Formats: sequence, C-alpha cells, structure tokens
Amino acid sequence: MRVTNPLVRLTTAAAIALSASLASTAVYAEKLKIGYIYPSPVGDVGWAKKLDEGREAIEAAFGDQVESVVVENVPEGPDAARVMNQMASSGAGMIMIGSFGYMNDGLKLAKAKPDMTFIHASGYKTAPNFGNFQTRNYESAYVAGMAAGQVTESNTLGVVAAYAIPEVIGIINTFTMGAQRTNPDINVKVVWLNSWFNPAKAQESARSLAAQSADVVFSLYQDTPSVVTVAEEDGFYVINTSSDMKKYAPTKLLASLTIDWGPHFVKQVQATLDGNFEGTAYWGGMADGAVSVSSLSDDLSAEQKAELQGVMDAIASGNFHPYDGPVTAQDGSEKVAAGATLDDGSLLGIDWLVQGVETQLPN
Amino acid sequence: MNDTLVFILSGTLAATVPLLYAALGELVAEKTGMLNLGVEGMMAVGAASGFVTVALTGSHALGFAAGAGAAMLVSTLFAVVTLFFYANQVATGLAIGVFGLWLSAAIGKAYEGTTVNALAKLDLGFLSDLPFFGPALFQQDIMVYGSLVVAAALWWMLARTKVGLVIRAVGESPVAAHALGYRVRLIRFAAVAFGGAMAGIGGAYLSTAYTALWADGMVAGRGWIAVALVVFGSWILPRVAAGAYLFGAISLLELSIQGFGFNVPSQLLSASPYIITIVVLALISRNPALIHLNSPMSLGQPWKPSH
Repeated sequence: MRVTNPLVRLTTAAAIALSASLASTAVYAEKLKIGYIYPSPVGDVGWAKKLDEGREAIEAAFGDQVESVVVENVPEGPDAARVMNQMASSGAGMIMIGSFGYMNDGLKLAKAKPDMTFIHASGYKTAPNFGNFQTRNYESAYVAGMAAGQVTESNTLGVVAAYAIPEVIGIINTFTMGAQRTNPDINVKVVWLNSWFNPAKAQESARSLAAQSADVVFSLYQDTPSVVTVAEEDGFYVINTSSDMKKYAPTKLLASLTIDWGPHFVKQVQATLDGNFEGTAYWGGMADGAVSVSSLSDDLSAEQKAELQGVMDAIASGNFHPYDGPVTAQDGSEKVAAGATLDDGSLLGIDWLVQGVETQLPN
Repeated sequence: MNDTLVFILSGTLAATVPLLYAALGELVAEKTGMLNLGVEGMMAVGAASGFVTVALTGSHALGFAAGAGAAMLVSTLFAVVTLFFYANQVATGLAIGVFGLWLSAAIGKAYEGTTVNALAKLDLGFLSDLPFFGPALFQQDIMVYGSLVVAAALWWMLARTKVGLVIRAVGESPVAAHALGYRVRLIRFAAVAFGGAMAGIGGAYLSTAYTALWADGMVAGRGWIAVALVVFGSWILPRVAAGAYLFGAISLLELSIQGFGFNVPSQLLSASPYIITIVVLALISRNPALIHLNSPMSLGQPWKPSH
C-alpha cells in the first residue's frame, strides 16, 4: 500500500486505524508489519527510491513473513508524527524512518512503544529499540572529487547542496580534498538551496555555478535529475548522489555516488524477528558495499580510472581515510594533524569547511 | 561576471514565465471579483497533465493545451461552487488548491522523477548571434516571448476594449452590471476559467520547458507567489508583470551571490526574493486611494441575481 498526498493520507490513516481495531482480535503477530515513511515521493531515482529498494530487499528476503505499509512525501513535523503514530497503532512492529527531521518524533514513539523497533535514516540519536543508519558518502565523494579535479579545465567546481547539516558539510569537504589531490589549484563554490526539494531552483543553481565558470557541478542530495539533465543540455560535467543517473546525462555524467541499504535493512529485520534487535548506529561505507561509485565517465583515461580505483581499494581496506591529516579548515586552522584521522564522533557533528571551499557556511 | 549577467538576464526571462502566466490569469479573474486562491493547485494540475501529454505524444503544443484544459476544468469547479452555490471564495479556493495538488500527484504518479525533452529554443537569426544580448535575451523558447505578447494583449484588452470595460464593471459592481443586462455569472465563470487555463499553461511551462521533468510538489509555492503578485501589484497589470520579473531576477541573483562567496547568510538570501518583491510593490502602491481605486470593489463577495 502506498499513499501519496495529504487528503488520501488522512483517510488512509483512518482506514488503517479502523482495520487495525477490527483485525487485532483476529490475527496478531506472526507476520511482521513494517512501516516505511519517506520525505519525498518514490520516483525513478533519488533518496526515497533508494530507501524503497531497501524495502524491496526486505520483501525479497522475508517474503510472507513481512507486510509493508509505505507512506511517502510526508513533511517533517506534525504530519510525520501522526503518520508514525498511526503505523504504530495499526500494529506495525517495526518502522523505517526515512528522514533526518523525523528523528525526535520517531524517538518519542520508540520510548512509548518499547516492543517495536525503529531504524532511522541519517540521525544521531539512538535508544535500545531505535537504531540509525547512514552511509559514508564522504568516501565516494572523495573519489568523485578526484575525478572532478582530473577533468576540470577552469579549476572551479560547483556544489548544489540542500542544507548545511553535518552530513552535507562532511561530503563537501572530502569532495574538495579529493579534487585537491588530483589538482592542487581547485576552488569549490557552493550554492545552498535551503530546501530539500525544489527541482527548478536546483537547476537554476547549477546554471548559476556554470556561469561562474564551474565546469563540474556536484548535485548533492537532489532527489530529481534536474541538475543532471541541465548539465547534459548546457555541457558541463555533473556528479550526483543516491541513484545512478547515467541515462539522464549519457555524455556529461562524471560519476554517480550510489548507496545500497538492502543488506543492513535485512539484518535489522532479522534481528527484530529474532528478538535481539539493538539500537545501534550503523555507518556503512565502501568496506561493506553500502557505498560505491558507479558510471565513471569514459572521458577519464585508463590511468585516471586506475588512480581512482586505487583509492577506492585503499578506503575499502582501511588503509586510507579521506579525513587523514593534515586537514586545514577554511579559516586556516589545523583541524586534523598530520598522522591523525578525524574520529567518527567529530565527523558526525562536523561544522567547518576545508580550505579550498570558497563559500562560507550559512550561519 | 559577463557570464553571470547573461545567466541572470536569460534566466529571469524564463524563470518569470510560469509566474507571469499564472498571475495574469488570476488578475483577470480578480478583475471580475473572483478571488481564486487555488492557483498553486491549478498550476500543479497543469504541470502534471502537460508533462504526461508531452511524455506520451512528444508534442509540446498538445502539452500546453492539455495543461491549460486540465487546470481550466479544476477552475470551473471553483466557479460552479462559488457562483451557483454561493460558497465562500477564500475557503473554496484553498480547498481547490489542496485538491489540485492531490490530483497532480495522482496524474503524475507513474512519471515521478522522469524527464522529457525541453521545449526547443527559438533561433532568431542574427539577434540570437549577437554578443552578450544574443544569449541574454534572444535564445529563448516561444513561451517566453509569448508571455510578453499575452501580457500586452491583456493590458490592451482590459484598458482599451469594451470586453475589458465589462470585466471591470462586473468586478466593481455586479449589481449595476446585472441591471445593465450583462450576464454577471457567465462573465465571472469565463474569467475564472481563463485564469485556470493560464495557471495551467504556467504549470506546464515549468514541467515541460523550464525543468522538463515531473516531480510531485515541483510547483513549490509559485502559485502562491502569483496570487501575492496580483495583490501587491494593486491589480494594475504592468505592476503585476514588473513584480513577476523582479521576483524572477532576485531569485536568480540570490544564487549568483552565493556562488561569488559573499558572506551573507544563505537563509536570508533565499528569503530575499519574497522580501524585496513585497517591499518594492508595497512602496510603489503605498497610496491608499490608489489601492482603493484599483481593487475590484466586489472582490471575494458572492453575488446572487436578485430576480
């Protein structure tokens, strides 16, 4: 079942509640009902699509043992709280919470429902029955940055970013450091959209960056292919996140940073079924295949691709970390000393940009 | 710097198109006294219908026709409920807006996140080849120039023709217009339908020309801006059009300023198109007598034929 919009959502919520009250006496348990709540519609590509592929992986692994309730395009705030509460009261045993901003409402529900389990995308709070999951996209962003440094002729790279949250900042930093590795003169410009979802504005931002001589634009957490299609049209390279978007820019896609939630989701469902779920913070990277770089452009030479592959192997094996020191912040202060590596805790709360990024943080 | 200026000029012309069509349509409806707040929903329906039509047929002309037609159908719902059942216009308009968003999601569901070829840019010969001015002004699609023609034609129609006079008369005093033998409800119905069609064209432009993709929620508040532009432009067409261009220009300028690395909070920059447009339009319209003169007297009021 999938519900798309406010009005239907309300009526469906009522229907869920009604069917739950009817059904609760008849059948209970055995089948694990899993609720999925997404911040945007499930499209052809993008964030919600990747989460939904995680759901498909669960259904493929558990078949009749699980039942899915999907509600997409839910605004963060009271709507999200209501949708999650409805899922809980309609007998869901587990909820996959698909957006950072649902965190506090989800956690509140988790505390009220100790029998249920929760997995939350990209948050930082946990409880015994409330785990979170993220991917180390900064790893793939580093590799994409290297590729951008290899192809740029203007030495100017652009980033179209949603909000300045730690995850996004951390990615912009490694993208910049990767580019500096292959091209020391790199200069990175960022446009903050202050919106998770505004395809037209994302496209305008990409064009404005191209007009300011950026010849590679990084479409960071933009759910639609808006930036990718305009790159193909206007002729600048583009890098995107979440899904592979090669088909939207066959000649201008430099790389797609893809993610795969499937294996982690399946493990969490198994733990819920077995009764040994632990609310942990999962941070998947290249090492466990949760993060990868796909559709590297054929404009890169074999040597360049080999250089990228070498770094990917080093990241996966743990021999190299994109935040290996020395790392210098925008203001010139040394954030990571030579020989040291930024720890996960600091990375999760990162609030500084590295040297080479021209744009300031919007604070 | 030159490239950025070209980007802002050419971008403004295109970014303003959806706002301009929608605001002009709403202006005509309001001139007859019909306050239809459902523009956002009608634009969304136009965007979804237009996109699906282009995806299926490959014809942009059909896409605009479908967008206009579908949004017009939604607007006639508003017209029927308010004109024949005397429902409150504000409440009905808001309901139509929400309904339109829902309908657009349903229409576009199977096409979420997909793309079509964007409406082709016109080649205006030597004009398009001019240095600076060519890329800035003369490499646009037909709807960009069309919006200017439509704006001029509507201005002439409202200010200089008998049709315009009748439209304004109905908006000022439906009672007097009715007494003179004009069919008030028919005129209002037609104006609302026209407004719906224009909103639909604006929406279809967004989904088949400007970004050429369908994503639920992609209208992203532009319908509300269109409604606000009519009010802040104090129902004077050239001001409404100027407001639309101002809004378009500042929303692009904001992005360029960010790219130049000026240390201004981006949240403030993101809000600047709204703030500046409202302030400018409020300043040029600050004469209360002027607003009083230009605001249609019967705006938002139901009217029942007395016999």
